Amino acid sequence: MYLPEHYEFFCPVKINSGHKALEQIPFELDALNVRKPFVISRKDDSERGLVDVIIDAFKDSGIAIGIFDGVPADPDLKLIRELFNIYRDRGYDAVIAVGGGPVADTAKVLNIAVSGKPNNIEGCAGENLIKRPLKPLIIVPTLSGTGYEMSRNAFFDGRDYASHFLMPNLAVIDPRMTIPEDAVTTASTTLAALAHAVEAYTGSSKNPLADAYAYTAIQLIMEHLVNVIGDQQDRNGRLSLANAHAMAGCAFSNVASGIAHELGKIVGDVCHVPSGLCMGMLLPHILEKHMSESDYHISDLLLPLAGFDVYASMAENQRARRAVDILYDLLKDLAAVSGGAVSRIWKDAQVSEDTLQDVAQRAVGNGAISDMDCCVKILREAREGK
Amino acid sequence: MENFREVAAGKKSLKRDYVAIMMWFMGRAIQAAAAVDRAVKKEFVDMPDGFTFALCVMPNGPHMIVGKDQRGLVRYRGWDPEGKTINLQMKIKNIEAAMLIFTFQESTALATARERLIVDGEVAHACAIVRILDIVEVYLLPKIIAKLAVKRYPAWSYARKYLGRVLIYFRTIFGF
Repeated sequence: MYLPEHYEFFCPVKINSGHKALEQIPFELDALNVRKPFVISRKDDSERGLVDVIIDAFKDSGIAIGIFDGVPADPDLKLIRELFNIYRDRGYDAVIAVGGGPVADTAKVLNIAVSGKPNNIEGCAGENLIKRPLKPLIIVPTLSGTGYEMSRNAFFDGRDYASHFLMPNLAVIDPRMTIPEDAVTTASTTLAALAHAVEAYTGSSKNPLADAYAYTAIQLIMEHLVNVIGDQQDRNGRLSLANAHAMAGCAFSNVASGIAHELGKIVGDVCHVPSGLCMGMLLPHILEKHMSESDYHISDLLLPLAGFDVYASMAENQRARRAVDILYDLLKDLAAVSGGAVSRIWKDAQVSEDTLQDVAQRAVGNGAISDMDCCVKILREAREGK
Repeated sequence: MENFREVAAGKKSLKRDYVAIMMWFMGRAIQAAAAVDRAVKKEFVDMPDGFTFALCVMPNGPHMIVGKDQRGLVRYRGWDPEGKTINLQMKIKNIEAAMLIFTFQESTALATARERLIVDGEVAHACAIVRILDIVEVYLLPKIIAKLAVKRYPAWSYARKYLGRVLIYFRTIFGF
């Protein structure tokens, strides 16, 4: 068991997960001294009935709620001003975000505004520029997220906001909200969560508490991802994946971010491919690169990936290789079960050879990776496959 | 304001009424069981005279209030907590959680484990109340349902089970 000389772990988010979890929200609001919450969501999530489920969950609670279901895919500060005016004029005292990443990011930035900085939101962008606790925030994630409900970050209108005070008070994971997404969305978000968990579990900044979250997230994903892609009606599988996303998000928030995450984000941005898919496709190639490095813990990864029997049956010097092979197999299985909708390699996802140099330059430029040649090699392998 | 609306909290009247009736019946059945069953009687003997507990659904009820008077007799004290001194409150967090318990999809012990109810008061007394509820449910329900509702279905003698069941139903319906 690896115990670092020093580590820090912070997670103030309460998780409420399972059957009828949404009905607990009024109780939790009462504990937070909230009387009038403001729910924000996207139109398409509202049309899929998610907001109706929230309204139903508030029945018999005596709490009236305000609902704004017009958050666009790329929200901007104009929207925050509009939401701020509604929040202030109607006397709301908490925000509930229902839906994926853009809604959660909007809720976090709105919370900066309603907690006292309505005219200086941009001034809070950056690392640790929010200096005091914000108003209560609750996030109800869907399967289209990657654990953002546990994160201290918000990416909004081209700016990065990062502070512990952005983390919500409560994340509510309910099977009624993790309704089926298309195969690519589910695979993309879950592969991002897998990359976060694996990099937290194997990276040089790992710590025992982040390990606990990462371990369980990896197990849940390996157990359920392929089944859910094959059968989106697998309710227990979808709930398990949503839990895995939250746990991976918690692990990821407590370690240094890994190369798969950073590089995957850049590839997704440059090539207009879902960044989670990019992270998933990069992951085994990056682990292979780290296999010979002593401060990475790749052989330990076999245990959550394959279970105790396989782990115990392998010699110690073979475990890292087997773990990486399992990740390659996972990509193949996903491609097979989705009928090719989920690409196994970038070439299939229309990522051109010409863009790789550009991606590598950006990755080296922002410090995601230090060795340009090594970066190009990894990118090429992820594009061509092995 | 496009895309904005305010929604008043609705009602779940049917579920509320169902839970209220079940609580009313259960409260009277506890009173009856305390007079009929030795195990229930013993649980109450260990509680102080004047001890009153409430099982309620948050935020606004229904409530079930049962107390032990100064003479040691157990009484169902109605559904209104107003003006009563409650020593132990077991609060079910919402009406849906109450439905899971009172439709016997979840036992009280399981509901507690799943954080569906919280306790304000002595944990030892709360454990005694859970044991009492289990015993009363065994009396009131047929085995096939009671097995779902209690932690462990007991191996009682026929005399205890069926004679007790008749007496408890009789006392519950007629309220003594």
